[in-house]
Amino acid sequence: MARVLWAPFLAALVAVFVLLSSPVTYAEVPNAVPPKGEHNGKDVPQPIEFPHDIHAKINEINCMYCHTYARRSKVAGIPPTSKCMGCHSVIATDKPRIQKLTEYWEKRESPPWKKVHDVPDYVHFTHEKHLKRFVFDNEGMEVERVSEVCAFCHGEVKNMTVANKVKPLNMGFCVRCHEANDGPSDCWKCHK
Amino acid sequence: MSGNQINRRDFLKIMGWSGAGVALAGCDRPTTVTLHEGKEEVVSYLMPEEYVIPGVGVYYATTCQQCPAGCGIHGRVREGRVLKAEGNPDSPVNYGKLCQMGQAGVQGHYNPDRMTKPHIRKGGNLVEASWDEAMALLKQKVGPDSGLAGDRFAWFTGQVSGHQAVLVNALMDSLGSERHYVHEVVNNAVTRAVNKDMLGVATPRYRIDEAKAILSFGADFLGAGQSPVHYATEYATFRTGDRGVLMVAEPKMSLTGANADLWMAVRPGTEGVLALGIANELVIRHKRKIDNLPAEVRDLITHYDLDTTAQITGVAGDRIVKATQWLHSRTPSLVLAGQSAENQAHGYQIAAATMLLNMVLGNVGRTIVPGTELPFPQLAAKQGGTADLRAFAKAVEQGAYDAVFFYNTNPAYTAPSYMKLAEKLQSKVGFKVVLTQFPDETAKQIADLVLPLHSPFEDWGTHVAASSYDEAVISMQQPLMEPLYPTTRGFGDIVLDVLKMRDSDNYGQYADYYAYLSQAFGALSADWQKTLQTGLLKVEGQAQRINAKAVKVSLPDYKQNAEFPYHLVPSARLGLWDGRHANIPWLQEAPDQISKVVWDSWAEMHPATADKLGVSTGDYITVTSDQGTIETQVYVFNGIHPDVVAVPMGQGHEEYGRYAKGRGVNPLKLISPKHDAKTGELALYGTRVKVAKAGRSEALVRMGGPGRNEAQLGRKLVATVTADVYRRTEGANDVA
Repeated sequence: MARVLWAPFLAALVAVFVLLSSPVTYAEVPNAVPPKGEHNGKDVPQPIEFPHDIHAKINEINCMYCHTYARRSKVAGIPPTSKCMGCHSVIATDKPRIQKLTEYWEKRESPPWKKVHDVPDYVHFTHEKHLKRFVFDNEGMEVERVSEVCAFCHGEVKNMTVANKVKPLNMGFCVRCHEANDGPSDCWKCHK
Repeated sequence: MSGNQINRRDFLKIMGWSGAGVALAGCDRPTTVTLHEGKEEVVSYLMPEEYVIPGVGVYYATTCQQCPAGCGIHGRVREGRVLKAEGNPDSPVNYGKLCQMGQAGVQGHYNPDRMTKPHIRKGGNLVEASWDEAMALLKQKVGPDSGLAGDRFAWFTGQVSGHQAVLVNALMDSLGSERHYVHEVVNNAVTRAVNKDMLGVATPRYRIDEAKAILSFGADFLGAGQSPVHYATEYATFRTGDRGVLMVAEPKMSLTGANADLWMAVRPGTEGVLALGIANELVIRHKRKIDNLPAEVRDLITHYDLDTTAQITGVAGDRIVKATQWLHSRTPSLVLAGQSAENQAHGYQIAAATMLLNMVLGNVGRTIVPGTELPFPQLAAKQGGTADLRAFAKAVEQGAYDAVFFYNTNPAYTAPSYMKLAEKLQSKVGFKVVLTQFPDETAKQIADLVLPLHSPFEDWGTHVAASSYDEAVISMQQPLMEPLYPTTRGFGDIVLDVLKMRDSDNYGQYADYYAYLSQAFGALSADWQKTLQTGLLKVEGQAQRINAKAVKVSLPDYKQNAEFPYHLVPSARLGLWDGRHANIPWLQEAPDQISKVVWDSWAEMHPATADKLGVSTGDYITVTSDQGTIETQVYVFNGIHPDVVAVPMGQGHEEYGRYAKGRGVNPLKLISPKHDAKTGELALYGTRVKVAKAGRSEALVRMGGPGRNEAQLGRKLVATVTADVYRRTEGANDVA
């Protein structure tokens, strides 16, 4: 009898153990184990305090609308000033930040943005391949929710104004994610 | 690695704890690989071009300008910057391949020592000037009101072809001048003259790929030859399948010699005797018929029996026998002559003797075949040599010119010191204009006006290869990126501006060289856009006609020289070439293919000679000709004739920027005033020298071998095997 009584309890215990020890997944992104690691990035003063939150959270603009090269190239690309002006020649033209942007535009200059996320020159990182793996070739993933994939490495940018570096982006961070997601482990995949 | 907080001890500790997990924890130290935020700027496009994706390269076709071969290239451009050059697969010159010099073109382009502003000589010094001042000076000196008589003007250039050659000619026409001197130190001018006389065409097509045996008399077709990439590709075919046999006879082992199955150290200047000795062997031993040759030539061949040939040339009889056997049994064969054979005081005779051997072997029409002639002779390459350098020096001495334009050449460096060219130019020519990218010797020492040029990656042009290939093509040169400096200009643009001063009726219509070129292409009924895309305009050419005609040669007796007992070999290599690439660090760092010395000069010497002098590798020696002395370190090596001292060209620059200046010695300065009687070409390999111990010694910095100063720190940059191992594993037949 004791065996019968203990059996469900044991099963429940094993289930809890398995649940606890299995990787915590973002329910939102299927077939993915997000990388672990935090970085306490300092604030980077930018020429214009660009509000990511207004664009990505409040107005729900897709990250790739502005960072249009991410799906096509190794770099995501800072949007061309002409893209900003596409909207802001009519939207929010009374705001000081937009007026500053317009000044740059009229001088035919791009704002000298400061780089926040970077990897060393000896690391070949490509946005294109990562978006293919986690978004475009990922069954059950909708492209509208790409920001959740971006957040793997860039954090919750839609809750920030100017971007802040919140992930370490170092080799351990990359390698653990590659291990968890069956990414390539050849040295020359990144160091070439 | 600034800010790296893992020192070596920490690293070893981490590794000592073992386990990948622990090692990876090291990778998590943020400062090891994490860059500081906000340090660099990332500037976006203001308005992107539709076809530009940052991070993705685009390729433009253009033509390599690192040597006169004219290989087609694809330049990879990213974010408006050229990053890499590769061969254009459609080019019949290089079939998509590119050599180290071509690869290093990018470093020439980004060289920090580029000339970026015009300079005018004032009171002996070059002073920075504006383009307005420079053009005003040009107008004053060569404009229509300058009073410059046409025959008082000359061009002095390296090889030019295509529409640049047309513009060079046009400027001469507008002035009424007829003098265009073309100077290349690495050349085949004597062979061209022999070919013209004996075949009827100067540049037939050589089919290295069709040959089953090749005998090269110093023709370094894999290295410092006329089209190294093209011939190396054909050589690969030659060596595959029914593996062709390569024999090389030369005084000092070249890159081609190092690849030979049979290498023969020949006494310099006796290559013609060796060629006729082999011809004699073919007749005597192998019963080859030579009835088609004139009686006097047949008679001459009989003079060189095996013993006589071996005695004169210093090549052992059994080697001559073996070479003859191979040439006899493996047809078709091909005999080539190169600079060490033909740049002698009787170089024409030597080269003609090698062509006679081709005729005895029946190679003409089989491996020496008609090439395709470009139907536009005005675009053909104007090939250079050293005869023009001699003629120019003489004309300058006689005060023949008031104005000379220099382009794509550096005679103040390459001219032998006996010519005293720089001094004569300074005193006898009133106005010397140097069009150049770099502050070379000619610009710094003799120019009155220096005009800074765009790099080849920033400029327009068309090029026609000098050698003959399957197809006749005009190879396009187009800018791969915006000019790095706003104050350099294109060669064509400058010449066009001078032309406009003198002949605005004909040239005033062209806004710039681009307009001129695109209109010229219209005249050729060529699709301009398509040509820009492919980089090549293939044109229907006429096949050359070859008429073989044997000439009698006369080979002088070999003479010893008691005062200067050694021969100087100023060898050229694929890399520094004639010294034009000494300002490219990659090519300085790339070791010499034979000695593996980097960043310096050296003197190659046979072990027996070194023993006689009591020197070993690293010891300094003086090498003295009747024109002067240079001092450099010895490199003792078997692949050289015991009577020869070889000092490579390329170093010993007095100017030419931070990477070239003050490094090594220039053997061209020692060249004696001797020349080939028939062609006027300098006897570059005909100088006799004496050698003495300088009494000091230092490590000779080489990259290769197991020696203390040759360590590669386990990097295997240059793999080496001993000759014994090579014989065992690679099946080499004869290694000196």
